[in-house]
Amino acid sequence: MNRLQKALLEMSELDRLTAMDSPVHRLSPLAKLLVTIVYIVVTVSFGKYDLSRLVVMVLYPVLAFSLSGIPVSTCFYKLRIAIPLVIFVGLFNPLFDKAPLLHIGNVAVSGGVVSMLTLVLKGIFSLMASFILVATTPIDRICAALRKLHVPSMLVTLLLLTFRYAGVMMQEAAVMSDAYRLRAPGQKGVHISAWGSFTGQLLLRSMDRAERLYASMQLRGFRGEFDYAGPVPFTLRDAIFLIVCAAVFILFRTVDIAALIGGLFVR
Amino acid sequence: MHMADALLAPAVAGTMYVASAAVAGHSIYKLKKDDNPAKLPVMAVAAAMVFAGQMINYTIPGTGSSGHLCGGMMLSALLGPQAGFLSMIVVLVIQCLFFADGGLLALGANVWNMAFYGCFVGYYLIWRPIMRSRLFGSGKGAQRCRIILASILGCVITLQLGALSVVIETSLSGITDLPFGAFAALMQPIHLAIGLVEGLITSAVLCFVFEARSELLQEVDVSGAGASKVSLKGVVAILAIVALVVGGGLSLLASSNPDGLEWALFGNTEAGYSQNMGLDEEDFGVSSKAAETAESIQESTSFLPDYAFPDSDSPAGTSVSGIVGSAIVAALAVVICLIGGFFRKKRKERKV
Amino acid sequence: MIEFRNVSFSYDKERQVLKGVSFSIGEGESVGLIGANGAGKSTIMKLLLGLLEPTDGSVLVKGTPVSKSSLAEVRRTLGFVLQDSDDQMFMPKVADDMMFAPLNYGLPRNEAEARVDEVLARLGIQDLKERYNHRISGGEKRMAAIATILVMQPEAILMDEPTSALDPFNRRMIINTVKDLKQTKLIASHDLDMILDTCSRVILLSGGEIAADGPADAILRDRALLEANRMELPLSLALQV
Repeated sequence: MNRLQKALLEMSELDRLTAMDSPVHRLSPLAKLLVTIVYIVVTVSFGKYDLSRLVVMVLYPVLAFSLSGIPVSTCFYKLRIAIPLVIFVGLFNPLFDKAPLLHIGNVAVSGGVVSMLTLVLKGIFSLMASFILVATTPIDRICAALRKLHVPSMLVTLLLLTFRYAGVMMQEAAVMSDAYRLRAPGQKGVHISAWGSFTGQLLLRSMDRAERLYASMQLRGFRGEFDYAGPVPFTLRDAIFLIVCAAVFILFRTVDIAALIGGLFVR
Repeated sequence: MHMADALLAPAVAGTMYVASAAVAGHSIYKLKKDDNPAKLPVMAVAAAMVFAGQMINYTIPGTGSSGHLCGGMMLSALLGPQAGFLSMIVVLVIQCLFFADGGLLALGANVWNMAFYGCFVGYYLIWRPIMRSRLFGSGKGAQRCRIILASILGCVITLQLGALSVVIETSLSGITDLPFGAFAALMQPIHLAIGLVEGLITSAVLCFVFEARSELLQEVDVSGAGASKVSLKGVVAILAIVALVVGGGLSLLASSNPDGLEWALFGNTEAGYSQNMGLDEEDFGVSSKAAETAESIQESTSFLPDYAFPDSDSPAGTSVSGIVGSAIVAALAVVICLIGGFFRKKRKERKV
Repeated sequence: MIEFRNVSFSYDKERQVLKGVSFSIGEGESVGLIGANGAGKSTIMKLLLGLLEPTDGSVLVKGTPVSKSSLAEVRRTLGFVLQDSDDQMFMPKVADDMMFAPLNYGLPRNEAEARVDEVLARLGIQDLKERYNHRISGGEKRMAAIATILVMQPEAILMDEPTSALDPFNRRMIINTVKDLKQTKLIASHDLDMILDTCSRVILLSGGEIAADGPADAILRDRALLEANRMELPLSLALQV
């Protein structure tokens, strides 16, 4: 299986997840989108040493995963892309920031270690939150929500069309690279002599497809603009979800919940 | 070069969103004014094609590694800067949403770092002046040479600008203790290499298109008649910019002289990051949930003992209670996970 | 309904694609357009839809020549089902795609929705309504593509290779669907058995000219004529002999 086919599988796995049903799936896409944004903003706004306060934020994604019935494991596969750069940046903190920040027993933990952990956790948490959004909301619902937020219709339409054809083009590219590999055993990728023609062929085919696509749009009355915006229901339940979540996130940000809970047990 | 949310402070991310949104607004306005309904399907399919093309591995001769296409330069050469920019945005959005490549909050920054430089700087400062110039003379061969030069210069410069922006944005966000100079010294040379390879791939593809259907390319003289005014000055100016950027990167590199450990670290993570999608043979969504959960917990806790500094003698920790509280929250999270899993199994059994 | 008057077309000086083609198709007729690759089948379709302009001669739809000013009306009259359904189905869901044309033609949303439901029921594919275009199979996609055209309520339907790359079951389903359509039909295909099943008349193109035009039964039985034009007898007829 090549990389394109794997990516196609990954997309169809997401399709499968969005087709499930749960209280989280049923929430308005607009509410979910806004809550996700608020969550990520609050999460990344924690100070670099606020490790223990940040940990509390894990509750939202974990609850959402649990309620939606989506296994947490599906999202960790995605971490392999997002996390390396974060870890790379974070790894330097322990090297530069060696001042001890706190002690556990007689072990001192340096500020750099704490800030690195904070950074990595921020990365994981925000990824989990965005994953919950896409795993419970089909792309057209997300687009409808974007239209509600006044994202220009040209951009939203372009996003929808591109998503539709991303799968088609990936399929074509996958078939082409299979065909290539069958005639070039032992090569890991496309040889330099075919760099231009391989992608070039794909590009020419895509341009032909665009022409046919445009013809098919024209023949059905397309005159330069179509506004795709399905209805975006927003019920009382969605409003409550949005307000409660936002309030709780801000509470977590302003009050050190972890210390409060810990205070009940220590001293 | 896709940045995750964690690398940005909300203020920086917001600023980048505003900047990118302004450019997107300008692009939409310009395209609406041009009023060419045929453009939308072409933009969509070209974006989809670039998205697929990014997953093709190009073997770099003489090395074991492979290069990849980023696409900003290519899209703007095909569609023009405005349409190319919008197409790059949707490519980045899809990568962010469906492949977790770059964060939702970091999208504004990623659009700026990759799409803005690739499309606008790449087009107006590199592609158009070079293609309009009479560099290498006139005729088909000369045009091909100009395409190659513009592609390579374009990719190298726009990637350098992008990498520099990543460094600036991360540093401004105050999440790293890595000094600005050292960070830049790490990022710039790596992206010089990546940019060169991408430039070569882009030039190969554009040359192929030029041979097959030159009318698809922007600013390419199809008729073979004389191009507009000679702007050798422009080309010289651009070469000067390249020299500055490259020279700047190199001098930063020389001044900080990072040691071998850092290089090795960087090399490794970078390799992982450029391979990004799916080269690793992990099982996809098959491994047991419990194992994954355990792994995630381990991930968030196991660093502590390893990275402790027992020789330090500063006053006792101020937030022991914070740590205990965090541990309790983490335990709670695990319990929620397990309960969720338990009910899922029940439901499944009932279905069967 | 459709008339070609001495139509010629060429992309450039050297390649003459159509050379003085004349034919007319009456209301309610179903005509198969056959011919080797490059014989000019798709060009005829494109000229009819105004996607190309003839270099010579004129193309008429319901008596009006196809031109810039009549384009909108012509395209409402004719529905075109493309060979590759992926080119046609560009919206997220089947229902969205079916709504596209009616909404563009200014139909109110509820009326458009009613039409969509009616067509889906007629074709027996109600289950596809809320499905995503990128998740349905090739056969389903082909049925859905026909549905997106039927909601426009065209007076004539043009089809390009409606049965290519389908399994026997899906092919049969398409053939039955096409047979049931009451509109004027013009079907370009290499699938001569399907043409035999669905069309009463056949136009055989060869090198940009009409080599034969007559009842499907006669032309599709004429082994010598077919073979001279790089075709062969439909399998069902070949077996009978």
